Amino acid sequence: MNSWKLKEIVVMSVLSVVFAVVYLAFLPVGKILVGFFGPIGYDLIFGIWFIVSIIAAYIIRKPGAAFLSETIAAAVEVLLGNAVGPMLLVSGMIQGLGAESAFAMTRYKRYDLFTLMLAGVMAAVFSFVWGYFLSGYAALSTGYVAAMFIARIISGAIISGVAGKALSDALAKTGVLSSFALGKEHRRKHAA
Amino acid sequence: MSQEVIRVEDLTLHYEERQKPVLSHLNFSIDEGENVLILGPSGSGKSSLTHCLNGLYPRELDGSMKGEVYVKGRRTDSYPAGEMAQNVGVVFQDPETQFCMITVEDEVAFGLENLNTPYELMVEKVDTALRSVGMEAYKTANISELSGGQKQKVALACILAMEPEVLILDEPTANLDPVARKEFIQLLKRLKKELAFTLVVIEHKLEGWLDLLERVLIIHEDGELAYDGPLHDHLKTYALDIHEMGIQLPYATRRALEQEWTPPYPLHIGEMPAVAFPENPPAKSAGKVLLKAEDVHWKSILRNIHITFHEGEWVAIVGENGSGKSSLSRILAGIQSPSKGTVSLHGRSLKKWKENEMRKEVGYVFQNPEHQFITDTVYEEVAFSLRHAGMKEAEWTKIVEETLKFCRLDGLEEQHPFLLSQGQKRRLSVATMIVEDQQMLFLDEPTFGQDEKSTSDLMSLLKEKHENGTTIVMITHDMELVDKYATRVLVMNEGELSFDDQPKELWALPDLVDHHLELPPREQWKRAVWKREEPAYVSS
Amino acid sequence: MFLHDLNPTVKALTIIGAVFLLAFVFDPVTPLLYIVWTVLVTFLFGTFKKRYYLYYFIPFTLFAFGMFWTTIVFSDTASATSETVSFLGMEFPTEDIWTAAALGLRVLAFASLSLLFLFTTNMVHFILSLIQQLKLPPKIAYGVLAGYRFLPMLKTEFQQIRAAHRIRGVNRPDSWKEKLLQYQRFAIPLLAGAIRKAERTAIAMESKGFTGAKARTFYRPMRVQWKDWLFPVMMFGMLGVTIAVLLYFGYFSWYDGQL
Ligand SMILES: Nc1ncnc2c1ncn2[C@@H]1O[C@H](COP(=O)(O)OP(=O)(O)OP(=O)(O)O)[C@@H](O)[C@H]1O
Ligand SMILES: Nc1ncnc2c1ncn2[C@@H]1O[C@H](COP(=O)(O)OP(=O)(O)OP(=O)(O)O)[C@@H](O)[C@H]1O
Ligand SMILES: [Mg+2]
Ligand SMILES: [Mg+2]
Repeated sequence: MNSWKLKEIVVMSVLSVVFAVVYLAFLPVGKILVGFFGPIGYDLIFGIWFIVSIIAAYIIRKPGAAFLSETIAAAVEVLLGNAVGPMLLVSGMIQGLGAESAFAMTRYKRYDLFTLMLAGVMAAVFSFVWGYFLSGYAALSTGYVAAMFIARIISGAIISGVAGKALSDALAKTGVLSSFALGKEHRRKHAA
Repeated sequence: MSQEVIRVEDLTLHYEERQKPVLSHLNFSIDEGENVLILGPSGSGKSSLTHCLNGLYPRELDGSMKGEVYVKGRRTDSYPAGEMAQNVGVVFQDPETQFCMITVEDEVAFGLENLNTPYELMVEKVDTALRSVGMEAYKTANISELSGGQKQKVALACILAMEPEVLILDEPTANLDPVARKEFIQLLKRLKKELAFTLVVIEHKLEGWLDLLERVLIIHEDGELAYDGPLHDHLKTYALDIHEMGIQLPYATRRALEQEWTPPYPLHIGEMPAVAFPENPPAKSAGKVLLKAEDVHWKSILRNIHITFHEGEWVAIVGENGSGKSSLSRILAGIQSPSKGTVSLHGRSLKKWKENEMRKEVGYVFQNPEHQFITDTVYEEVAFSLRHAGMKEAEWTKIVEETLKFCRLDGLEEQHPFLLSQGQKRRLSVATMIVEDQQMLFLDEPTFGQDEKSTSDLMSLLKEKHENGTTIVMITHDMELVDKYATRVLVMNEGELSFDDQPKELWALPDLVDHHLELPPREQWKRAVWKREEPAYVSS
Repeated sequence: MFLHDLNPTVKALTIIGAVFLLAFVFDPVTPLLYIVWTVLVTFLFGTFKKRYYLYYFIPFTLFAFGMFWTTIVFSDTASATSETVSFLGMEFPTEDIWTAAALGLRVLAFASLSLLFLFTTNMVHFILSLIQQLKLPPKIAYGVLAGYRFLPMLKTEFQQIRAAHRIRGVNRPDSWKEKLLQYQRFAIPLLAGAIRKAERTAIAMESKGFTGAKARTFYRPMRVQWKDWLFPVMMFGMLGVTIAVLLYFGYFSWYDGQL
């Protein structure tokens, strides 16, 4: 934790706070989708719920960014009042660990689109395994569960990986990230 | 023999992506117990200098810093981060972002905790600090619910509690009401006596500070040190130079310059000769009813507000910090709906107006300029609404360029609005509003944090708009502006409207101080002259 | 009043423990009884606006009911037994209903536990207690606190940006696409502004002498006293009693790979 600057921690936690609100805002969207498609409705947009870990890791590029940001976001969600309560904190930690594992696999060296999508996928895998245990997906038919799993993986790759990157890049363009790893990379690219 | 606490040697500061240095080749030193004023036009790098003095730069800098800064004979970068806070305490310019806790007391205690102050002592110091800035009643309040001026006081209390040897205040009174401002300066004077710290103040308005701050550092627009020495003597002789740099002089000195008197110039109203003084501007006859508020209430903050605005008026809203001026203006401009009562524009309730239609009639400049920025660059910010107005490109680019130039923002087109200096932000937020032609314009403290030049440019622009028929409603703490421009003045007092008439009637009130107001300098002068003209035996 | 004075860390750990144990319970009766118990404790030993509690609780009930319903409809029919219940002209296996009710009520039990925590705990105290009791590094804890402070600010910020948009003549969105574009136009300034401010906040904190060092004094010392242990004893005790009683009457079931 000593390699982290206070600035990075505060920015990370502010991102988490912002996205915690976004996460809560997407719950009703998920519910509507569930109404249409059954439990798989959530999986279609599940990627939304990993996005902060990808954004924070991509911007700050320090070990732990993905895990911590997702955990904080989950904690804030719990504080704001969420149906699943403290369990959500654990879910958040597990999702964060999933994303973190992808960055760890690259030894925190690569932050390209592939790695970010992989992080989304890993978060999806981790969260699915957890969900399988927690929410009793086993009660559902095998084919349906498989479909859920695939939907969640794709959603993780696209929504959190691709969209997370796009959003961070748009932010970097404003110049506010100039003292963070992503901003520095942007500047190097522009200078070149 | 007093000791040197701060020494700056050949300091040059560059921000990344900017060609010109923000500060260049600064050399000065400050002795223990000295009171120093730092002056300079907006954007000259004063706030950046404070970051150099307390060791934040070069640690947190994106750019380069050359030269040395010593605090108590030791280079700033050789201090462990925590120790610096006991030596140099800074109250930053923007109070909003200096806080990390939820409540006032926790925030004040935060600094003390960092210094490992024992519990019992800490409790005592928190109380003392809050009492000394007059915020003890807000000890358990949430910081996010304080008014702008109250936040400034809390920010000071936080630093005071830590009892640093050098206290640096970056525009500490920008948002304070006139009485609070006076009290604040008084407070500093008293604390100076009790605690004997070194004081460095950055300000745009000299008024009131003159007898506390003896020495002045003037920073030129290009970041060089233009003057370092005693304030009074310099001012008396070279007021014109300082004025031309865009720094606001005391009223007396300004009048003297205007009248082309010869130096030495007067610094206080009392020193001014008894000559004819200008009268109030003639009150313009009001036109049709434009906006009407009936029995407006909002939360527990506003009560029983009845106001009618007419075409062609220039209304100033004044009053104590936290009396509800910003809240009122937000409701009048339809940004917030009242919890009870109605506001109607052209006889139609605001609720019934289509948003787009209404916005063509009413413009609004927020108290915190950052609340207004919605794009990434200065240029886009100004161009934004014109783009949406369906104008030809050639036409609007010309307007944008002119506006930027007028607001002295040319050269910063590509900068992110959040990276501007406080004064530049203010000018940008005003620029975004004046490119359009609304019938009615609300401005929440349009001139705070501005140097003389921007203030006068801005006011003459508003005047031009007013003459072309725009109704202006402006919140301000500057009585001189009220006196000079307003045709009508509203006084807010604890959420109620306590006065509504012409400015000259307000000045005639005996209990101005109770409303946290003061006489404008012109009136003070007038009265000073009257007093002097009274036969001597009456007073003896 | 007792719940508000409890050490927040003890309270949080107790609740997490209870949630964890409940996650292994697979009958509807245990969570139902435990919900009643938790709500009772919350109302007896906490002071807050009761109206808000309901306001929070109702959406959870809806959520739990949704869960109940979907589990029945989408359940794995292969494992169904022959016994069925008919409802609205449809046939449902009893076993499924039993499980569905267990899952739904479990969600509600989690909700009532977390509401107990939410309604009786001051956030700042909680984080301070995490530093003091669980040795959470101050750098993270205060970083998070500073971020948390942005929460009320974000709301006003959002309103302000929306107002600023309105004032600046951005049209009301008519189509879905425009609405999405609008959100993007919100998102970037909101985030950019938040990041800028966060950075300045961090700078201000450091210039107030914050280094993240573990050694620091506290304006709000958080201690664990003997009466703090009353709460876990009470909560776990009740869970044990419930389980024991239900075991006796044969209503209880553990998670043993069913589903
Ligand atoms: N972090 C930063 N990165 C890049 N440029 C910056 C940064 N901070 C300030 N600037 C620029 O440096 C210049 C000096 O800013 P500074 O805030 O020091 O001015 P100032 O003298 O305090 O002005 P004011 O009186 O308006 O507060 C401005 O042009 C500003 O746009
Ligand atoms: N969102 C809010 N919720 C609750 N109270 C608020 C809120 N905003 C402001 N207040 C309170 O309302 C009062 C009026 O605030 P307002 O900002 O209108 O004051 P003001 O007259 O503009 O002060 P200043 O001159 O310092 O800007 C203050 O006491 C403030 O603490
Ligand atoms: Mg400044
Ligand atoms: Mg205000």
